[in-house]
Amino acid sequence: MLNRLRFLSTLIFVGISGILGSTVGFASDPPPADEVGASVSIRMYQVEGTLPADDPNSPQWASVPESEFNLAPQVHWPERIQEVTVKTVKVKGLHDGQNLAILVEYADPTEDPKDAAAIEFMVGDKKAHFAHGQPMLQVEGGPVNIWFWKNENGKALDMSAKGFKTLSTQEKQDVSATGAWADGSWKVVFTRALKTEDEQDVQIEPGEWRSVAFAFWDGALVSGVPKEKGSQKAVSSWWSIRAEPSADNSIFGWVIFCLALAAGFEMVVVRKLRKGQSA
Amino acid sequence: MKGPIASGAILLVGIFVFIKFLLPLVTAPLPASLIYLYMALAFSGIMLYGTMSASSLESLMGPVFRFLSGEGQSGTGKMARLAVLVLFPLLVGWQTYTSLAPSDLPPGENRTIHPAPPGEFVGLANPYQNSPANINMGKGLYAAYCSPCHGANYDGKGPAAPGFNPPPANFSDPGTIAQLQESYLFWRIKKGGVGLPVEAMPWKSAMPRWEVELPDEFIWKIIMGEYDGAHQSPRTWEEED
Repeated sequence: MLNRLRFLSTLIFVGISGILGSTVGFASDPPPADEVGASVSIRMYQVEGTLPADDPNSPQWASVPESEFNLAPQVHWPERIQEVTVKTVKVKGLHDGQNLAILVEYADPTEDPKDAAAIEFMVGDKKAHFAHGQPMLQVEGGPVNIWFWKNENGKALDMSAKGFKTLSTQEKQDVSATGAWADGSWKVVFTRALKTEDEQDVQIEPGEWRSVAFAFWDGALVSGVPKEKGSQKAVSSWWSIRAEPSADNSIFGWVIFCLALAAGFEMVVVRKLRKGQSA
Repeated sequence: MKGPIASGAILLVGIFVFIKFLLPLVTAPLPASLIYLYMALAFSGIMLYGTMSASSLESLMGPVFRFLSGEGQSGTGKMARLAVLVLFPLLVGWQTYTSLAPSDLPPGENRTIHPAPPGEFVGLANPYQNSPANINMGKGLYAAYCSPCHGANYDGKGPAAPGFNPPPANFSDPGTIAQLQESYLFWRIKKGGVGLPVEAMPWKSAMPRWEVELPDEFIWKIIMGEYDGAHQSPRTWEEED
């Protein structure tokens, strides 16, 4: 009788400690707070059906939550620029499990043939410097994948870089883009498969975060030359982007399993107690 | 409520209130995991004490066991027992869910702002005299090369600043250059963002590697201009003999 009681005490003690541990202890340290004010990430939401991949003005975009990022003149290396046209960019993303579409929207008072926009990604596991993956002195860096759209070309270029003067157009072109200018504002939608066969490309795995940055050029002509070109552009820092994963229903399997386990534990305890008392 | 259970519960609540609310009045608050550890130790202490003899075991656990077994219960007791038996698995299920549900937060940013400099940049002295002419030259160079990000007022609020993450350093803040030696600034200006070690996330920094464009003389004079303009003094390790 005494041994049985001791056993039951231990059983209940272990059970309660486990519950207390997960509720009181480890669950109550709060996660780090997001930066207040500006966005830090972009979520590409999953859609059923067609992706508005080549239509910046598709009504489908209207309901997609947007992220907004500040831009700065490119001052990191020559040729620098002190003042740029594009000050902020609004970004939305969608995917359908196979392909993704990213919409960038920004103010530019005039439509010019040399207006351009670009999205940059880190490729692979190594961190890449946001300025074209230029070499770092104490850290081994990786390459970047740049999706470049220029109004006069009417299409996107799929490019790679790892350091200054290494920017090159890839042999395998996987990106397309469509721009639409209206009322002093550009909307450009970039689209690509989430995953490609090209190791120079960023691979988007739903649920995993990737690093992304943006650049914009105002191609308005001043005395016959574009106001911004080459390294004279508006740039963003690295931010985070991910394709939202589809709901993981296996979690609910585990929830039901653990719930059943707890109920079974209760039954064992109650049965042993009843046996003990009638004995 | 029987005696040992009530006193055990009071003891636990008392210990919790002490380490959670009273202790932070005199020292840093304890992390939740440590509080849990202390509570678990206190709880096992109470259980050990309560199970030392058959009679103490009966007076501690008897009421609990009779409650759980449900023998001869009616009314409120019966309902309470049912509630406990239903709530316990639900709580376990909820805990399973919260611990397995994927996090929606982007990767955290524990960036070291002032990492240790490489050895060759420790303790270098500014070879240029701290004269008005040199300071003025430094301020002129600062205006040309540094102020677009770090601001004409040395406050990190230059016209290019809002677009950068991490933001440009605010030199008028007593927590930046006032805490650093001139040789540290020499390293940071000369090697720029790409010269930072991994814990400072060099891939994010827009700070140019100025050694490519400026001679050392300019960098040392910019440092003088920076301290003077920001009304700060460099940190020194020298002791007055």
